Amino acid sequence: MAKRSLALQLDEVVQAMLVSLRPRPEKAPDHELASLARVAEVLRDLPREEFRAALKSDLQRRASMSEGTAARTGEAKAKTVHYQRPGLTAITPYIIVRGAAQFIEFLKSSFEGVERMSVPTPDGKIMHAEVAIGNAAIEVSDGSEAYPNAPAAIHLYVDDPDATYARTLQAGAISFYAPTDDHPSGDRWGAVKDAFGNHWYIAKPKGWTPGPEGLRSVQPYLHLREAHKMIPFMEAAFEAEAMGVHKSPEGIVHHATIRIGDATLEIDEAHGEFQPMPCHLHVYVPDTDAVYARAMEAGATSIEAPRNAPYGDRAAGVKDPWGNSWFIATYLGQ
Amino acid sequence: MATRRPVRRGSAKGADVSVRLGTGRNDERWLVKAAQSDPAKFDALYELHFERVYAFVASRVRDRATAEDVTSEVFHKALANLQGYEWRGVPFVAWLLRIAANAIVDHAKRAAREFPAPDDPPEPAADLDLQASELRAIEHRAQLFRLVGRLPEVQKQVVYERFVEQRSIREIAERLGKTEGAVKQLQLRAVQNLRAQMESGRG
Repeated sequence: MAKRSLALQLDEVVQAMLVSLRPRPEKAPDHELASLARVAEVLRDLPREEFRAALKSDLQRRASMSEGTAARTGEAKAKTVHYQRPGLTAITPYIIVRGAAQFIEFLKSSFEGVERMSVPTPDGKIMHAEVAIGNAAIEVSDGSEAYPNAPAAIHLYVDDPDATYARTLQAGAISFYAPTDDHPSGDRWGAVKDAFGNHWYIAKPKGWTPGPEGLRSVQPYLHLREAHKMIPFMEAAFEAEAMGVHKSPEGIVHHATIRIGDATLEIDEAHGEFQPMPCHLHVYVPDTDAVYARAMEAGATSIEAPRNAPYGDRAAGVKDPWGNSWFIATYLGQ
Repeated sequence: MATRRPVRRGSAKGADVSVRLGTGRNDERWLVKAAQSDPAKFDALYELHFERVYAFVASRVRDRATAEDVTSEVFHKALANLQGYEWRGVPFVAWLLRIAANAIVDHAKRAAREFPAPDDPPEPAADLDLQASELRAIEHRAQLFRLVGRLPEVQKQVVYERFVEQRSIREIAERLGKTEGAVKQLQLRAVQNLRAQMESGRG
């Protein structure tokens, strides 16, 4: 029998199998075709490669959670919220950089970051990584054409801002200013820019004690034009709560802290060296579809409509009027 | 239960296959111990057994989404309950498949609550007793899944496009920039390759 006709015959069998969902292909006329059909029948159940990889990284994350988190999170440990992915708070900065592997080394050496998981791309870049810092985390990915670099400004609460500041400089960051007690926040506070373009505001509370919920180690800090409009946007989209708003008499926001779920971020009016840096934020909410709809109503544009992501989240994406990307997620977990 | 696979005889190829599939029992015992003391090492067990668990589950549920849900549940449960596994000559895979059988029943019950189908009651899994023939079928399917990963790139692509994405020959031809006849030939080559490797692996 000619090759070509075998190819056609096999495809007829495959086609019938895929379309009809018959448990078995019809009896094939000859032995040759029958044995090929048996192989094809098994291929119908071939697992998706993406699923295999996603489940693996999910398990890695779960495994690293069960290891040493109790010691790390201490009293600020958030109570488990069913719609949040274990190990992540309600707001996690998602930093896209060229050279993600070196960036992760920077997080380790400067901030005692712990790499909790890392999913490589076939060409050895980092598709997705998660680095725990204190009681929260930062997500990291290598830039690509689809996802250009997006550094962020992040406020870290640490035990020893002076030592942390010194480590960042050793690791290649440049200083905006060394930790000082004269920062308007009242905290001891220093600021650096790392080699990847991210800003780090390194601080320790001074003269106040965090509440029972503890201190959030990682808070994204958004410098915005017309920052005052962000507060109603976040209230409308995320049912966020503005916790402390310092405005000038003209209504310019000098500083505001805004809470979503168990996490907070900060905003101020862009000024001087601290200009807007549209970034990516990964936000866990109880109902992705509702938040997506409200965000769109509040003026966001869609990046991605809600869908069930293969790693087990209900996920969606929007861009706010300032150009920040919000990846909205609900952990479907178990 | 008849879960103990006969030790592969003879050829070096056979021995290699048995290690790859985690049937080198002493190695596996060591891997389980390592994972019990350090959950991060669960990875290795996942790598060894993913295809088997998936093959088992996929053959017993209706669609891909359910197969993925259940497989995911099996490995999460296995990780969470790893301390409860004791090595008493029961291969780790048998333990995983027992979890899988229970998860399939749970899933069917949940589905039945949402879409009752009284004429189709789930069978209880408590007395899961896999026949040797079924275990061999699972091994066979798992091995085939693995072999797909080692096909020449374009054949592999055709297999995924055709069987996983379930695209038509015409769509695949467009996506790959080939004629429909060429795609059918690639499909044939891929399936022939897999058949040949399965036969030689049986050695």
